[in-house]
Parts: sequence; C-alpha cells; structure tokens
Amino acid sequence: MARFRVGVDIGGTFTDIVFLGEDGERITRKVSSSVEDYAAAIVEGLAEIIAERRLGGADIIEILHGTTVASNAILERKGARTGLITTKGFRDILEIRTLRFPRLYDLAWTKPPPLVPRYLRVEVEERVNARGEILRALTEADAERALRRLLDEGVEAVAVCLLHSYANPAHERLIKKAAARVAPGLNLSLSFEVLPEIKEYERTSTTVINAYLRPIVETYLARLEAGLRDSGIRAPVLLMQSNGGLTTAQAAAERPIHIVESGPAAGVVGVEALARQLGVKNAISFDMGGTTAKAAIIENGEPSRALEYSVGGGVMTGSRLLSGSGYALKVPAIDLAEVGAGGGSILAIDAGGALKVGPQSAGASPGPVCYDRGGTLATVTDANVVLGYLNPRQLVGGALRLDAEKARAAVAEQIARPLGLGAEDAAYGAFLIAASNMVRALKAVSSERGRDPRQYALVAFGGNGPLFAAAMAEALSMTRILIPPSAGVFSSFGLLYSEVEYHFSRTRKALLSELDPRILSDILGELEQAARERLDADGFPPERIEIRRSAALHYQGQSFELDVPMPEGGIDRRALAALEEGYGVEHERTYGHRAGADEPVELVIVKLIGRGISEPPRAALAAHAALPPGIVIAEPVRRAYFGPGKGWHEARVVGRADLRTPLSGPCIVEEYDTTIVVPLGAEARLDAFGNVEIALPPGAGRG
Amino acid sequence: MPTDPIEFELFKNALFSVADEMALTIFRTTYSGVLRDNMDYSTAMFDGAGTLAAQGLTLPGHLGSMPTAMAAIKSAFGQVSPGDVFVLNDPFDGGMHLPDIFVFKPIHFAGELVAYAGTVSHHTDVGGRVPGSNASDSTEIYQEGLRIPPLKLYDRGARNDTLWSLIERNVRVPVKVFGDLRAQLAACHIAEAALVDLARRLGPAKLKGRMRELVDYSERLTRAAIRELPDGVYRFLDHIDDDGIDPDRPIPLAVAITKAGDAMRVDWTGSSPQVKGAINNTLSFTKSASYCAIRSILPADIPNNEGVFRAIEVTAPPGTIANAVLPAACAARGLTGFRMVDCMFGALAQMLPDKVFAASDGGNTGISIGGWYPDRRPFIYVDFTCCAWGARPYADGLDGNSNIFANMASQPVEVTESEQPIEIAAYEFIPDAMGPGKFRGGAPFRRDYRFLAEEGILQVRSDRRRFRPYGLYGGGPGRPSMNYLDPEGENRPLPSKLTMTIRRGEVFRHEVAGAGGWGDPLEREPALVCEDVRNELVSLEAARRDYGVVIAGTPPAVDIPATEELRRRLRARRDWPQPPAVSWEPPEIARAAE
Repeated sequence: MARFRVGVDIGGTFTDIVFLGEDGERITRKVSSSVEDYAAAIVEGLAEIIAERRLGGADIIEILHGTTVASNAILERKGARTGLITTKGFRDILEIRTLRFPRLYDLAWTKPPPLVPRYLRVEVEERVNARGEILRALTEADAERALRRLLDEGVEAVAVCLLHSYANPAHERLIKKAAARVAPGLNLSLSFEVLPEIKEYERTSTTVINAYLRPIVETYLARLEAGLRDSGIRAPVLLMQSNGGLTTAQAAAERPIHIVESGPAAGVVGVEALARQLGVKNAISFDMGGTTAKAAIIENGEPSRALEYSVGGGVMTGSRLLSGSGYALKVPAIDLAEVGAGGGSILAIDAGGALKVGPQSAGASPGPVCYDRGGTLATVTDANVVLGYLNPRQLVGGALRLDAEKARAAVAEQIARPLGLGAEDAAYGAFLIAASNMVRALKAVSSERGRDPRQYALVAFGGNGPLFAAAMAEALSMTRILIPPSAGVFSSFGLLYSEVEYHFSRTRKALLSELDPRILSDILGELEQAARERLDADGFPPERIEIRRSAALHYQGQSFELDVPMPEGGIDRRALAALEEGYGVEHERTYGHRAGADEPVELVIVKLIGRGISEPPRAALAAHAALPPGIVIAEPVRRAYFGPGKGWHEARVVGRADLRTPLSGPCIVEEYDTTIVVPLGAEARLDAFGNVEIALPPGAGRG
Repeated sequence: MPTDPIEFELFKNALFSVADEMALTIFRTTYSGVLRDNMDYSTAMFDGAGTLAAQGLTLPGHLGSMPTAMAAIKSAFGQVSPGDVFVLNDPFDGGMHLPDIFVFKPIHFAGELVAYAGTVSHHTDVGGRVPGSNASDSTEIYQEGLRIPPLKLYDRGARNDTLWSLIERNVRVPVKVFGDLRAQLAACHIAEAALVDLARRLGPAKLKGRMRELVDYSERLTRAAIRELPDGVYRFLDHIDDDGIDPDRPIPLAVAITKAGDAMRVDWTGSSPQVKGAINNTLSFTKSASYCAIRSILPADIPNNEGVFRAIEVTAPPGTIANAVLPAACAARGLTGFRMVDCMFGALAQMLPDKVFAASDGGNTGISIGGWYPDRRPFIYVDFTCCAWGARPYADGLDGNSNIFANMASQPVEVTESEQPIEIAAYEFIPDAMGPGKFRGGAPFRRDYRFLAEEGILQVRSDRRRFRPYGLYGGGPGRPSMNYLDPEGENRPLPSKLTMTIRRGEVFRHEVAGAGGWGDPLEREPALVCEDVRNELVSLEAARRDYGVVIAGTPPAVDIPATEELRRRLRARRDWPQPPAVSWEPPEIARAAE
C-alpha cells in the first residue's frame, strides 16, 4: 500500500489537511479549527482519514505543518507572562519603539501595548560600548537580583537584551549562568543568541517576542506530538517557517519567532514549486480568502524575502510607506503585501457618492447576505452571485446553501438604487473595484519595485482568488494566469513542496572598493559552516545541502539596501567588482536610475541560505499528484454578466477535468473549494500537471 | 456625484497608487537622513492646469506646499514644453525652507499638456553657514544656503548644466544632493509613464474630466464634513518661549478659526511680527499646520488635494512669523509649525470638546553636536526628538509616539554610538511629568548625551519651558522641557535654546516636555493611577497630590476609603465652579513639588 506525506495548515476557521500518496493520490479534508486546542483538531482529522482509508500510523511518512498558533498568541496577546532585563537607563526601549505611527491625522491612534509591561522590565547595572568594550562590569549579584525580582512577579519566560550585546555578549552570558543557578529550567531568550545584530529596538522586540511565544509553542508542539503518538503516528513533524523553509519541531519550539508567518508562507512556496515545475521563472502569487488578500513575487524561481516585518498590527490598507503598527520582528520572511479585501468585504456608498468596497468585512459571521445567516449588508460574494459567477444555490460541494434572491435584493437596494444603476451594473462595479483594491497588493510587490507585472504569470488560489484572477490580470495587462488544482486548500499543498531551510546573515559595513576580499570570504565561510552544522544536525548529508549566498548593498550614504547574488566560487577583487556592477544594474531596474561609476557601493549585510534537500526531493513527488475528484455540475450553462459593454452571456459551467479540451470564455469552472471565472476573449485549458491555464489577449488593460 | 462612480473609483485608485509609487522610489533610494527618519518628502499629481489632484501620504508639513510651488512655476514660465523639468527652493518664491527642493515635470500626451508630477525632498545640505543648512540661529535667509528661484533643471530634455554645476559648487555634499535629485527625477518619470498610459486608455478629455471630478469629490466630502461641525469663531493664543536670539521675548501665535456653513477660515492675525531667529514661516507652511489640524478632525479617507483646501481659507498678514517676507530666516521654522498645530487644536477643542486632545509635548527638540576629530575629520550629529501625545477626551495620551505633525522615527542608540563620538547614557520615561487628568497626558522621556571627543559645539533648539503643554477641561499641563549639564553631578540647568562648547566626558541631558491632561484628575479611575504607580510612571506622592488616590502595599493597591476621603478634601479645597477649560500652570502645591 502507498504511504502518505501529510500537509496540515491551520487557518482561522478551518484546518486544511492534505494526504499525498507516493502514487500521487491526494485526499483533502477541511475540519473546523478548535481555538481551545488546535492540536486536537489535527489529531482527530488525521485519525479520521486514517480510519476511513484503513491505514496504519506507519503509513504516514512525515507531517508538514503550517500553523497560526504563534501569530494568534500575539494578536490575542495570549503569550506567556514575560519579563525583560535591560541595561540601566534603557528599560523603555521596548515601549518607545521607533516613535513612528502608521495612521496620519488620526487622533484616536492607539499604540499596541508593550508585550512586557514596564514593571516587568528590570534594569541591571552594566554598560558595553559599540566596540564591545566593557565600560561598567555587571556583577553576578546584580544579575541574580534582577532575575529574582522577575521570578517573584511570577513570570513564565524572561528575555534579556543589553546594549551592544551583539558586539560583546559577556554580560548576557553572565545572566544566563546566573539563571542556571537561580532558576534552572527557566525559559530564557537572550538577544545575542536570538538576533546578534545592531539596533536595540529591533533586537529587544524580537527577543521579547521569542520569549513570549516559547511556552505557548512548546506546549502546543508537545501536545501535538503526544496526540500523534497516541494515534500510532510516529512520523516526524516539520514546521513551515516565515521564510518559506521547513524546520524541525524542536528548533521551532526554541525559536518560535521563525514560524509566525507560517501559514501565508506555505502558499507562496507552493507557487514557487509550481513555477519551477512549469519552467516559469517569474510569477506573482495571489491568495484571496474571506477577509484578506495577499500577494508575493517569485523572481528567477525564488520568492522575494524581507529581513524584517511587523506582526500583530492588523492589515494596513493602502500604503507601505507607513510603519509602526504591530510589533517589530527582525527575521527573514517571505515578503507579502496584504490588503483587507475578501469575499466578505462590505459594499457601501460614501458621503462623496463613490462606491466603496471594504475594508469593513462581514467575515464568516454573519457573512454575506446570500449565506442567509443574518448578514444584511451586501458583500463582494453577493455581487459575485448577482453576476452569475458563483453558483446561485450552493458552494463547497453543497455544504453551504446560498440564497441568490437575497443577494440580488441587497445589492439592488443598497448600491444600485442610490447610484441609479441596474443591480448587475452595480455588482459589476463592485467586482471591478474589489479587483482594483487588490491590484494595489500586486503592484506593491511588482511595479512599486520596478518590476513590470506583464512579465509575470499570475498564480491565483484561495477560495476567492480564482474568481478575480482574470479581472486583476486584465487591469495590469498580464496575459497568463495559472490556477493550481485544489486551489482552495493550496496552502497546505505548499507544505508538501517545501524543503528544510535556514537563513544566516552578518552585518559588515565596508566600501566594496576598500574591502579586503579575504574578509568577505571568511564571513561567508563562517556562515556556511554554521548552515552546514545546522543541517547536519537535522540529518542531511553534505551532498543534499544547497547553499545560496547574497549581499545587501547600497550606494554609500543611502539608507536602504538591495540584494545582489554573490558570484559563484571564491571571493576575489573581480568578484567584488561584479557585485558593484550588479548593484548598479539592480538599482536601475528597481528605481529607474543609477549613479555614475565613480559612486562608491557599500556592503551592508552578508546573507547565506542553507537548504537541506529531502530524498527524493519533495517537489518531485508532489509533481505526480492526481487531479482531485470533481463535483457534480447541476446546470451546464449559466447567465453571467460581464459589464455594461459586454452584457449578459450564456457561460458554460464545467469541471476542471473538462478543460482537457480548451474552452473559450465566457465559462465558469466549479470546484469543491473554489470557482474560476474565464471572461470573454480568454482561453482556458488544462496543463499536464492539472493546472488551469488562462490566456488573456494582450493589451486588454483597463487601468 | 461623479458622472460614473465606478470608473471614478478605479481612476482614484490608479492615481493614488502612482503617487505612492513615486514616494517609494524617493524613500528607498534616499541619501538624506532627515528624509528617511522624518518622512520629510512628498509626491503629488496635478492636472494640466496645475490644480493639485492627488498628494501622497507623506509629511503633514507639506500639505500646503504643493499648490504654492506649482503657482510659482506657472507664473515664472508661461509656456511649458515636453521634456521640461522645473526646480525651486526659494521660500520667497514658491518654496518652504531651503533644504526642501521641489522638482516638477509637465506631462504631455499627443502634444497636449495633461498633467504635472511634483516632488519635494528635504536634502542633506544646501550650503550656507552650517552643515545641514538647518541652523536655528541664522538671522537672514542669505546665511542659510543656496536660493534657487523657479528654474529649468531640464529644458526640452536638455540638462541645464549651468544650474547643475552651480548647485554642485554651493552644497557640501553634491554626491548626496545629486543622488536625491536623481530620485526625484525618477519619481517624475514613473508618474509620466503612468499618466501617459492612463491618457491612452481613457483619452485626454476623460483624463482631464476625471482629475477635475477627483478634486470636486474631495471638496464635496470636506464640505459635507465641515457642515456637520458647530458654527462659530474659535480663538486660541499660545506662545513660543523665544527665538533664541532675544531670549526674554515670548512670541505669541494667535489663531481665529471661523466655521460657517460648509467652509472654514483660519486667520493668524495677531501673531508676532517676523522674528530674527530662523523660525519664520512661509504662508504655505502656516497653511500646512492649519490643514494638518483640520484634517485630524475630518474623516480619514478624504483624498488629499486642492478640493480639501478650497473649503479651508488660511490667511496671515505679511511680515509676521506666519507669513514672513525677505530677508527672514526660516530654516528651523518647524518649531513654529508645531506650535501652530497646538494653537489650532486649542481652538478646535472649543468646537469639539469630546474629540480633540490636550497639548502634546510641543513638537521635536533639535539637538546637534558637531566638531573635529584630532585628525581634522569633521563629525556632525543631529537628533530630533519628541514623544508624548496630549490626553484625549476618551483615552490617555500616547507615551513614546511621534508628534502628529511630524511622524518621525528615532535614531537607534546603538547606531548613534557606533557612528558618533557620543554615548547615550539614558533614554527612558520621566516619572511624574505627564499632565494629570481623568485621562493623563503622554509620558515624555529624557535622553542623556555623553560627549566622547575632545571638544565640540552643542546646539539645542527646545521650547515649552516657559509655556507648558496645556491641559484641557480640568486636566493639568505637562511638566516643562528641561536641559541640564552633568545631571549626575552639578546638574546645572541650561536655557531652552543654546549654543555652547562641550568637552570630553560632559553629559547633556534633555527632558522632553510632558503632554497635557484631559478632564478632572480626581475623576481618574483609581485602578489606572495604581497601574501607573506600579509602572513607576507616577510616584506615590503624585498619586495623592494630583489624583487624590491613596496607594499602599506590595504589589501596590488602591486604598479605596482613604482615596474617597482624600478626594473629598481635595475637591473642597480647590472649590471649582467648573473645571477650567485650559490650564497653563499646575496648582501651587504641585509647582512646589517640582
């Protein structure tokens, strides 16, 4: 009998489980997430499928897991009671943050409260300077006093962040030793271990978040592994990190900061694998659910990553220029642009007479009017019902009944009448505006960085992504769209494609023209050794380790950097010159201009990624997945509306498998977990891997 | 209502996303620390007639600047051609202060002028007597740097080499200035490509129509919101302590906001004549401060453009600090902008007592320490710092948050110490400095700077020493800002504005002013006072004295009967017929404790 690899992705309302057999068979299941005990829902879900299929625990080879446990703990402020030890005079670093706030002209702005209140922030008498010299030595007695004070307050975890500890960690080490005496087993996070980098706020915040999450994540993973063991499953659990690589459960428990954006990363990794499989170098990933839409870019086969981001601040609609929401977390993460737009986004007319979509959302409860669960405000999903895009009677293979008449009445009453339009024109307008709001997320990852979206394939997934993909592509003059199989649960598939990955970096400021190549070579050597040791500990032999190196550079005097890949092989003068030229090219590509050749380029950060490739590689296995079973198509033709210019059309309604014969739009593909709209003038077909590929005529842009 | 509400919304999204794209290009490539940390730049789109259609989300202080700069360009150049690029920085001809350089580009489609792209960036240096061109103690514009009237940076695509080389010779760091100018140009090119694309899709006539509708739409939203506000004339008087040149002469700022129907008028008549120190405003900057405060009481989602400004008239007599004329110095006019914002909110609080906050910390303090290393290399360290918001009628003021008029970022201590001969010896909240109230003002912080080089010049521009951040409706004022030398030793108080020599090992301490409180402190929830006591932001004595709350024990807890008794006594003693609308000074007993 075939054995299975399992992807498990916890979402806000549902936990998606995917079994992928060695023979390509796939079983997908959505179970309700239980907020009290996420682990129990997973164990039950797995046990259910195992029982149905009469499998044994040993038939599960590995479990690949994306989880929101960490991000929820921050959002809901349900982390551990945490204490912080700082240098005397600096206990407010955590609370003062960077001073900046994300909402201009908002008198009601509320800062996120610090994860450690002031009375749990304890100072010690010590000081180290920027060169790592000790100006004032910390005594053991003072370290113990600080620890005792926090223990007396009943803290469950302690973070330590002293000034310049990245340059000399002696005092943080001393506190570590003191803790071993005073409180053996104390959950301790030290900044020189968590993030040995300059900038005290970012380092303090990251260390505090680590401490705050550790007890929660440890407990969760222990419970999950115990539950699995009890069900006879002994397969290893690997977790998705925010950077798109997997890590072991043990490493995740020690450094939970790396799994905060676990869920959203999985979908992007899925797109990365899909793109590699198809030989597509450049793609934009677009994931749209009920409340938010997320975009990311994949370039030369690699997702773009950010070195730091902010967590727990909610979705910022609009501009990426405004920072200061949430909590700073300086760990590499797949760079996602998010907008508060989803199926539940509410339609409204503002005081100036313009039609607005969101950011208010009806969420899952009461939900859109057509769900008939008490929702009274027209939503994006209601507009899609009016337009004939969504099945007027049911979704999720019949699990969700719809009332199309109610949707139509709400749109007519709330939107169409005040605007003096027909219901279908109002709904179509709402559809386009929703698409244009989400286009801003696509632009944020492409044109705002000098990338021309027309050169990219759009890969859309999530419950609502495939409905809007064509409209968004059209607005940006993109011509190629891919909708992967099981698009509605695609994030859990992404898990199955991932590999173990660790990121390392070292700050080293130096002009390339003045840098001794041996210094760079030594840094790279040390980072590579660290990566190999880490992967060796996870059981990867040298031949299955991949190393990627890059440098973050800028013109001397600039404040922001761009990444340039490090030339292969040894580092000599010529390699440095290649880096210098590479930066000029990248600057021109991104910002449309570059400085003259005489302007010095400065090295800022040396980066290295170590990857452990599974045997055989997971992506190769996933490539052979079979098509998911289709659902019953009740009516083969449905009237759908494509705007005042094009009007109503009889659209064919088909299942994914029917696209083995290419079809011209308008047509609608109905599936268990999503619906795909193929507009007029577009052509849809199934590729060899089960993706629906939609080709749009070039130059169809709308603006 | 727009002719086509749906196409209109799509157009609006497209245009503002262009403004954002422009802004990101400038922000991510900048060489200017001021631009990066203070978000000190803005981008905008105008229609072909020069009407501001979209200003990106950047610096509140630039709200009034774009139309003024545009008008100067239009009056200087009757005819514009494809390939032209305009530049200016002269405060007396379209600019604000010299470091802010404006770059504008007309955009043509099929031979027709359809739009302008505009950018303004705060540059690292524009020459003059001090590095950074930002001194507060200049007394005339001629000391402040290179004045650029409206000129062509490019003429029909040809670079104006005369102007570029003139700039190159007159600024200290031409590489950085040119780098930032290149970024401004690149932003204009991005706008041009996007607008040409829009013109092609919509047709130039429709593009014009949509831009006009966007301005009308903002005007409609603004007027609708203003209409809901109570009519009346609301006046307020606040002061800058002094201009640093005449240390004993307070500088009055007086505003009268007239709200009638769907329009507002903001009149600064009665404010000080222009002063010697470099804190004089252009009218455009006075407009920026006025708009910033009014925007804060209007709905957040009104697009920023000319339509908003049509409903708000701002006037100030020429020759005053609010509308200076030649040869006024204006590099450090930021201070005046901050105080005007305080003044505006003081007036608006009378109009909307349940919405507007008490005075914040007064805006940022500028601290610079410069000098030479033994090997004659120069160093210059510039720090702007502010942090405390006034209490709101429904919530405490924010602790450690930038001023609403600035939204600047702090510089990391570790970065400062690795790049400058300075040790930051402390950076922490100051207890008992926030104005008490039912909702208390935000907590200010102190920063201690230990000087590590042999000798340097310390320049400080602070304020809110003599005139404290006011409290509202019974709330007390915040504690004044303070400067000290050698706080752990002699602790000598220093004036609020100063230029002095500083030597190795000396420590300069700056304390930001505390923000004002809102509402009667005796009505503050005792549990909140207790929390502040536990967090060591309020002392046990201040809890009793300012709030009438008796706290004892470990962990600290409220003694409820004692608190009720104390509050009864305090109420009887102060004998308020009603809470004072504005408080500039704390009660005697609290003053004595300071």
